[in-house]
Amino acid sequence: MLELLRVCKRFKNISAVDDVSFFARPGEITGYLGPNGSGKSTTIKMITGLMQTTSGKIFFQGEPIERDLIAYKQRLGYVPEEPYLYSHLSGLEYLTMVGQLRNLPVKSTVDRIDGLLRLFSLHPSRHVAIASYSKGMRQKILLSAALLHNPDLLVLDEPFSGLDVGTGLVLRSLIQELAARGKVVLFSSHELETVERLCSHVVILNRGKIAADDSIERLRALMALPTLEGIFSQLAVEQDTAAISREIADLIHA
Amino acid sequence: MNSAANAKLQFRVLYRQFLFRVVDLEILSADALGDANKLLGQFAALLILVSIIWSFGAFGIIGANNMPPETRASLTLFMTHFLVATTMLVVGIFAVLSWDSIFPDRRDVLVLAPLPVRPRTMFLAKVAATGTALSLVVVLLNCATGLAWPFALAVPVTAPLGFLRSLAAYWFTMFAAGIFIYCAVLALQGLAAQFLPRHLFLRASGFLQMAAFCLFVCAYFLEPPVDGLKMLTAPQNRHLLACLPSYWFFGLFHQLNGSMHPVLAPLARRAWIGLTIAGLAAAAAYALSYMRTMRQIVEAPDIAPGSRGLRWLPRFGDSLQTAIVQFCIRTLARSRQHRLILAFYLGIGLAFTISLLQFLASAPQPPGSVAINAWHQANVPLLTATIMMTVLAVLGARVVFALPLELRANWIFRAVGMHDAGKILIASRRALLLISIVPVWLVSAAACFWLWPWRQAAAHLAVLALIGIILADLCLWGFRKIPFTCSYLPGKSQVHIVIIAVVVLLMLVAQSVIFEQQALQRPAIMAVVLVLLGTVAIGIRWHIHALAKSDEEELRFEEIDPAALVELGLSSNKS
Repeated sequence: MLELLRVCKRFKNISAVDDVSFFARPGEITGYLGPNGSGKSTTIKMITGLMQTTSGKIFFQGEPIERDLIAYKQRLGYVPEEPYLYSHLSGLEYLTMVGQLRNLPVKSTVDRIDGLLRLFSLHPSRHVAIASYSKGMRQKILLSAALLHNPDLLVLDEPFSGLDVGTGLVLRSLIQELAARGKVVLFSSHELETVERLCSHVVILNRGKIAADDSIERLRALMALPTLEGIFSQLAVEQDTAAISREIADLIHA
Repeated sequence: MNSAANAKLQFRVLYRQFLFRVVDLEILSADALGDANKLLGQFAALLILVSIIWSFGAFGIIGANNMPPETRASLTLFMTHFLVATTMLVVGIFAVLSWDSIFPDRRDVLVLAPLPVRPRTMFLAKVAATGTALSLVVVLLNCATGLAWPFALAVPVTAPLGFLRSLAAYWFTMFAAGIFIYCAVLALQGLAAQFLPRHLFLRASGFLQMAAFCLFVCAYFLEPPVDGLKMLTAPQNRHLLACLPSYWFFGLFHQLNGSMHPVLAPLARRAWIGLTIAGLAAAAAYALSYMRTMRQIVEAPDIAPGSRGLRWLPRFGDSLQTAIVQFCIRTLARSRQHRLILAFYLGIGLAFTISLLQFLASAPQPPGSVAINAWHQANVPLLTATIMMTVLAVLGARVVFALPLELRANWIFRAVGMHDAGKILIASRRALLLISIVPVWLVSAAACFWLWPWRQAAAHLAVLALIGIILADLCLWGFRKIPFTCSYLPGKSQVHIVIIAVVVLLMLVAQSVIFEQQALQRPAIMAVVLVLLGTVAIGIRWHIHALAKSDEEELRFEEIDPAALVELGLSSNKS
């Protein structure tokens, strides 16, 4: 289980994440939502060990992650929001490098990379430099790199970005399958429909604080709203969207 | 705002953007954007220093009233050619280093193409920025020599009008020589872009850049100096003088200065013709490139190593070490920027080697030594050359290790959780040895075994290997990074200090090789030298590994640490 306990992150005098606590349980897909600038990416960077907390603790399987960050990272699979990759390497070379960096057995890694490249339809382009990959292909490389070592915890930040419909459907089933096999999955996305279909439990962040942390069913019942979009709008969208859109239309029309 | 004013504003914005994009901001440390100016300042300081040192010679000539006219003439001829050739070399290196910014790159086009900026505005801004940068290089390099030497070169020496004419001739010649070289590079690149398909041009461009660099360095060090009128009038030199542009502009200076010997007239004519052709070719290439290349850039992706690249590489230790070493080799093999910087260091080494071998070739044979050819015994020039090449290769590789490629992609190294500092250090060391020392050592081995008795060759190669290993370990002292993954702080490199240190090192090497040459004749002394060097190498390596294992410091991915103290942003209100 992944647990965040009173996690805070401050940059100079700005509080990006303020007293955030929640659980992500094995076998469950936890949706992590929030508008832009809500502190979502900062939290994910702290969960993945790329950034330290200002205060508070993050636990995985009951252990604070900083106690043995290396061992924790060996069990973590991460798909970042931005597809930053070494674009001078080919897809095959990049995945091989990731396997080597994770110290995975050579034979099984080669087979696994080969399989992932085939299943993600990247096999014909495996020797082509990532520089010439499309956004969707880069996303598939990121996904393959995150899954290569069979992680116990998967942190997926906008994993559907740039994927075609078919691959998106495959990924959706895959996430469900991995959760069913006992993995902890933290899933962050702005696509509320996908979150609603995939996640049983959602955490909604607004201005660095938790606005909601419950199952979607209970939130629907509590707030008497039929969709996650309605719940999210009520909890995290502070603007009058209709008024703003009218204003923008008026502005460009003037 | 009317369209002319708008275009003017766009021109100013683009001009600044193009002029100051000498250092790629994407590789800098997150907090160090202003540091790029420090690097440019260091280069400027270096050019000014060189100019000041060379200007002292002019004062020597002006002050030496008793100097025989022949000596004075020889010295002034030598210095005029030297200054012209050096200006051409520096501008040539500048053109090679700014190769990618001469024409708009993919980033320029993709950012600017959707904006309402006329290609003409972009074109003019690029030309103006390039012209400014080129002028700065010429002015900085000649800032002191350009005032001192016209005094010494004026005809007649004392007349004020003679000085003014000499001053004008000097600056015109230097700018003309710089423009000629820059335009030649620009025309070469522009015409290649026109005649080759985009993907082929992108591949060929890197080779052309390296070829241009080698050509400039080799021409500078191989062309014979003008040591007097005899050299200029010798029939065997006529063809050489006609072929090498530095002699053309040397002739041009004397034509403008009014000090031209008849033998220089054809050279001056060649300078005018060359300048016109290079200027026209560059203008045509530039204009054509702007009309055609911009569309090609949008339509075709930038360089993508194809399916026939460097695919298979052997293992280099355990999987972590293999990953790091293979990453280093592939990065260097595919990043033109990194290759060029390494080539710059190797080019300096090559220049030293050429000069030293020239010295060996021209050294007079002592009487009665017909049977012993200087080339076929361990000799000081070749010993120095191999050691200098090793030193510069290691230094160059260490410098490129500090420059990242795709800085933001380093998250993968941070996310996988690497902890064994010792293993990472071993991997970095192996990469450094493979990239720098092994190639130089192999070439040196081929040359030494071919030229020298095998015992001398083997002993020197053992010395060379040990020096290389010691240097590699010293270069990685305190290195807590994975090569090519940490942000870069250009000002920290202290390039001017490094260059001065290299000069000092050269002097030390020159002294030590004299001892080595003697030791090579006495196996017992050589054995002691090898044991000593071996002991030093083992000692340094042991110490570095002990340091890495005991070091609590984490791997660095940012050159500047985040602030230990958090600013509260409070300020006192005095009003």
